[in-house]
Amino acid sequence: MDPQLTEVSQQLERFKAAFVRKDYSTCSDLLSRLKVLLTKFTSLPPLFENTPNAAQELTLARDIYEHAVVLSVKTEDQDAFERDFFQLKPYYVDARNRLPPSPQENLILGLNLLRLLVQNRIAEFHTELELLSSATLDNPCIKHAVELEQSFMEGAYNRVLSARQTAPDATYVYFMDLLAKTIRDEIAGCSEKAYDYVSISDAKQMLLFSSDQELLTYVNEEHPEWEVKEGFVVFQKAKETAPCKEIPSLQLINQTLSYARELERIV
Amino acid sequence: MTTTQDVEMKDNHTPAQSLVSSTTSTLHHLKEIAALIDTGSYTKEVRRVARAVRLTVGLRQKLTSSVVSSFLDFALVPGSEAHARLSSFVPKSDEHEMEVDTASSTPPLASSKHVPVELEIYCYFIVLLFLIDQKKYTEAKACSSASIARLKSLNKRTIDVIASRLYFYYSLSYEMTGDLAEIRGTLLSLHHSATLRHDELGQETLLNLLLRNYLHYNLYDQAEKLRSKAPRFEAHSNQQFCRYLFYLGKIRTIQLEYTDAKESLLQAARKAPVAALGFRVQCNKWAILVRLLLGEIPERSIFMQKGMDKALRPYFELTNAVRIGDLELFRNVQEKFAKTFSEDRTHNLIVRLRHNVIRTGLRNISISYSRISLTDVAQKLRLNSANPVADAESIVAKAIRDGAIDATIDHNKGYMVSKETGDIYSTNEPQNAFNSRIAFCLNMHNEAVRALRFPPNTHREKESEEKRREMKQQEEELAKYMAEEDDDDF
Repeated sequence: MDPQLTEVSQQLERFKAAFVRKDYSTCSDLLSRLKVLLTKFTSLPPLFENTPNAAQELTLARDIYEHAVVLSVKTEDQDAFERDFFQLKPYYVDARNRLPPSPQENLILGLNLLRLLVQNRIAEFHTELELLSSATLDNPCIKHAVELEQSFMEGAYNRVLSARQTAPDATYVYFMDLLAKTIRDEIAGCSEKAYDYVSISDAKQMLLFSSDQELLTYVNEEHPEWEVKEGFVVFQKAKETAPCKEIPSLQLINQTLSYARELERIV
Repeated sequence: MTTTQDVEMKDNHTPAQSLVSSTTSTLHHLKEIAALIDTGSYTKEVRRVARAVRLTVGLRQKLTSSVVSSFLDFALVPGSEAHARLSSFVPKSDEHEMEVDTASSTPPLASSKHVPVELEIYCYFIVLLFLIDQKKYTEAKACSSASIARLKSLNKRTIDVIASRLYFYYSLSYEMTGDLAEIRGTLLSLHHSATLRHDELGQETLLNLLLRNYLHYNLYDQAEKLRSKAPRFEAHSNQQFCRYLFYLGKIRTIQLEYTDAKESLLQAARKAPVAALGFRVQCNKWAILVRLLLGEIPERSIFMQKGMDKALRPYFELTNAVRIGDLELFRNVQEKFAKTFSEDRTHNLIVRLRHNVIRTGLRNISISYSRISLTDVAQKLRLNSANPVADAESIVAKAIRDGAIDATIDHNKGYMVSKETGDIYSTNEPQNAFNSRIAFCLNMHNEAVRALRFPPNTHREKESEEKRREMKQQEEELAKYMAEEDDDDF
């Protein structure tokens, strides 16, 4: 076998071992070294030359990037995730004919969709969704992300939270936690418009806190306008609607002047 | 497989008098067009060539292989490389031999002088049209690739019109054989050279073809990147502009920018020529979906347009389900027409509609009930979930926050109380609506005045002084009469 190829595979094995040991700093070092080695292969995108070892090189490179993506999830580095995923994407899309499908493909695609959802980039979420064929859409990893987005849009937040239990893979947990935080803010926003007041125990349950103290700290930090009295959380809703009686005079004047001007123009 | 005149003459003559006359007239027209192109290239006038192309479109139906081959013999030097290449695409025909005599009687145009390049490209165009109409897509593919290779070496403005048609058929032949991805690179380089040469019609056509290429494979991201960076200018061709608007609308829909999408799609549907039924049906399908996603219900008349009602039937039922706000019905319609939706590639959009259905249902409930328990809400919405009451509660809370309904929830007692809708006339709402309408009408009036073109001011001042005085007097009398009448009423 090609000496370069053997070297890369060896490094990859070392990387995998370090990963299992949860030694993330060694992993990152090995990863950067692997990426440098990959530049020597000409069969990779964007060149896509047809060298004799092309299939092996492509599979190896894809493997490396997939591990990089999973590593970035473990180290909770979203930018690295995005970078590695963009580098991985050509392997899925353009090189589809040259390689056997990767077992991790759907998992990684699902992770990416989830990441876009958490970062609230819904437009890109849908664009990515369009690229998937209907067969891929039935895959549990992808389906999970899609249903999550739907529940999020509808507002059935409890469904989102219960989906955390049914996550198809352990790597999803990181994003689900982030999502939980976003949801908490959303629920708080909805509750303050929808309810006049809620008992503390109910508020605790809705906002997913385990103790009263957490709830109180949360209220003090994020929503100082809420009042907590007599075991109830009162949302500041009774903003008087009295001032709407005044006439927006400036706007009226402008409008009437424009009418007069236009009327004069009619010959 | 070259057809030579000797071979044809030896074959049996089939008597077909009426057909002969029609083919001769087609050939005659083609020869006229060739002459037109000749003069156009000689005088370097683009509009003659454009006119020639327009005339060809009318002749399209009447092209047969014999007509095409005899035209090729007429226009190009037989035995030249171009002639051999093009004739190989036209199948050898052994009918209508009679008209060959008439063809051979007129001396071929090409033998006397040098064949203008435009004529050669025009021949490519004719052959390509013929092949595509005969549905011989693989040969059309080969022919169009040859023509593109030839075009790359040329740089004359007079060819631009024909060239843009050739690009279009090039893309079409590849699309029909399912190989669109191959030509992406070629199209991009063609677009590059068209921009360098300021060939605006070519630029427009190629941009549309590229967008179509990307959208065919659902690469919305890349399509948008291309579209935002490509130079934009005043549209030269109405059809290309319509296509551009349609593709733009599609991209915007997927990117969740529904207002822009609606504008583009409706404009495309309006500007499209009446004959382009398929295109208009597609525009309307997407426009309906975008309007549903925006929360407005399209009127029934859209579905009843001539020739479109069968195609739009699934969307009509979908609109119905959304209007009523019934999730069960929505789900049924979705399953029933799943095949149509996946063919139209609107499946993902329809999944997004589920949210709208729930909203409408909620709105109906909130308006009809002043107070309703959350379990009943969950039941009416037919949510089909594991924990309906909690789901319903959070959905209602979100709807309230988004301003879709006006209500409050009482968590302990588990019901939803709708607020009084209040007298809308006591707010500023009617005035704002009124103002926007007035502004629109005035705007339209101003634009109409600006667009008026007065006839040349030839003999306007002939009305004499006297006549004018007379008319003024009459008007005054009339006014006085009317004033008196008013007084009398009191």
